[in-house]
Amino acid sequence: MLEQILTISFFTAFFSAMVRMAVPLLYAGLGEVFAEKAGILNIGMEGVMLSGAFFSFVGAMFSGNLWVGLLFGILGGVIVSMIHAFLSIHLAQNQSVIGLAINTFVLGITSFFAKIIKEGQSYQQLKTFSTIKIPVLSDIPLIGNALFNQDIFTYLLYILVILMTVFYAKTALGLSFEAIGEHPRAADAAGIPVHKYQYIAMLVNGILGGIGGAYLVLVQLGVFSENMTSGRGYIALAAVILGRYTPVGTAGAALIFGGANALQIRLQAVGVPLPAQALAMLPYIITLIALLGSIGRSNEPESLSKPYIRGSR
Amino acid sequence: MTDKKEKVIQGLVIALITIAVGTVLIMMSNANPAEAYANFFKGIFGNLNGFCEVFVKATPLIFTGLGCAVAFRTGFFNIGAEGQFYVGALTASMVALNIQGAAGIVLALAAGFLAGGVWALIAAVFKAKLGISEIIVTIMLNYIAINLVGIAVRTFLMDPAGSVPQSAKFDSSVWLPQLLPPTRLHAGFILALVSVAVVWFLLEKTTVGYEIKVVGFNKRAAACNGISVMKNIVISAFLSGGLAGMAGVVEVLAIQKKLLEGISSNCGYTAVLIALMAGNHPVGVIVASVAMAAMQVGANTMQRQLGVPSAIVDILIGLVVLLILAKGLIRRKKVKNA
Repeated sequence: MLEQILTISFFTAFFSAMVRMAVPLLYAGLGEVFAEKAGILNIGMEGVMLSGAFFSFVGAMFSGNLWVGLLFGILGGVIVSMIHAFLSIHLAQNQSVIGLAINTFVLGITSFFAKIIKEGQSYQQLKTFSTIKIPVLSDIPLIGNALFNQDIFTYLLYILVILMTVFYAKTALGLSFEAIGEHPRAADAAGIPVHKYQYIAMLVNGILGGIGGAYLVLVQLGVFSENMTSGRGYIALAAVILGRYTPVGTAGAALIFGGANALQIRLQAVGVPLPAQALAMLPYIITLIALLGSIGRSNEPESLSKPYIRGSR
Repeated sequence: MTDKKEKVIQGLVIALITIAVGTVLIMMSNANPAEAYANFFKGIFGNLNGFCEVFVKATPLIFTGLGCAVAFRTGFFNIGAEGQFYVGALTASMVALNIQGAAGIVLALAAGFLAGGVWALIAAVFKAKLGISEIIVTIMLNYIAINLVGIAVRTFLMDPAGSVPQSAKFDSSVWLPQLLPPTRLHAGFILALVSVAVVWFLLEKTTVGYEIKVVGFNKRAAACNGISVMKNIVISAFLSGGLAGMAGVVEVLAIQKKLLEGISSNCGYTAVLIALMAGNHPVGVIVASVAMAAMQVGANTMQRQLGVPSAIVDILIGLVVLLILAKGLIRRKKVKNA
């Protein structure tokens, strides 16, 4: 059995699967980094993704165009994140309750209308976005295929991670967005429009989360099914913590989590009798251990999930 | 305008919006609203079976909702009822498969309570000792617990006679007694009501409960008055997890009579919403749980008879909570008018 695993082709396939599994997690994770750095914990990311997945399917099915589907998916994500933003920023409500209520609500809405749309018509699978093979680079052994024979969304992520890193490390605007999550009162005093920036952060959260959900439909499966995100929004939350609230770190965490998922599929394929659940819970155990290791130097934004009310103490 | 009057108005507005949305959804699924509502109520009050089913479904919600309410009183945001439910169910199953008779039931309840409590305690220690947010930790513990059950029913607890991922059926001597056969109403419901009474007494009539509430109101004031914040967070977390664990015990001993996956039907997450609707009050938890269970029973009948997807319950529950969160808007308008 071992000689079946330790082969070039096993690892090549494994790395490819790892990247594919990581992409939706990373879109959601980067969206969550934006929100959490600005002080808003969006536990409703699961709902944002599910909404993105559902509306992208509806858009693509009725228009017959994948790009229209993508647009719908983004809109679906943004609507949900804006509900969260309104309740958490404007009305200063408890962000965990908002998030859980959103997840329940979106799960209900998408399941309900998926059933209604399905009724009476055969549910054809969509054509999905095709892969774009980058010459030369994709011929690198082991990782070439995984990194450079993917869809457009994967390539966009490479750029996004770099841009976000530069944004937070090198620009004044990025610093402002970080400041409102650390000390909103000081940021306000320094003239940063706290609430406006928080709304913008949640807008980005919805766009990226929506893409993460849409990716499942438009690239991976070509079809919507009830509760199809199955906890990916929560894994994205864990990825952000493990990644220490940085874009690059989150990318690494998403790859680890995607890898656990891919390994489970590959091992099942070669018939290793390990319960799938053992690998499925790995991301959470790794994250908890990593949290233990970060004692005393928590990276959590100081004012995460504490609503900022102007003029209060 | 008085506080009470304002609350009544807010409640009415929320109820009206919810009914309106429900009606629109029913119409969208090509059913006649009058007929649908008739079926909804017939499902709940039409026969003894359906009526008792409301309390069967309310039982795990009361346990987990009560658990969340206790935790929220100290400001410990336990979103882990789902995981605590599963570790409770897992340990209770391990006991029930090995010990028979009344001793098995008592030990299973104790083991489930303990396991749920310890599961919540992990998050409490992360919070109290390391300052790490319990919200994220409890969510991760949920997934670990769910997968632990998945591993258990495929390996050491798997029914040797079967090939499906579930445990063997428990001996009938460890089943919780039914109260009104042939309905599924069982002794677990009574146990849930007793737990509510005990928690109410604890919170309202004892020093421990007083301290828990003080910590929830103002941590600084509590510390300045010699009330240990950490101790009270740990106590309420343990109690909270234990109650959620009991939900899991009761579910396997009374309903499933074996361990399998997916038996919580998300009650651990619904519990957070129940605690919010109940204003973290023990008696309110009963009301909110029974109301929610009744909605599920009624909606199941609508689905069977008229094909209205039962997901309508999730939509309306989510909507009610979002409206409760947004109820400040109703007040604001009144203030402006004044």
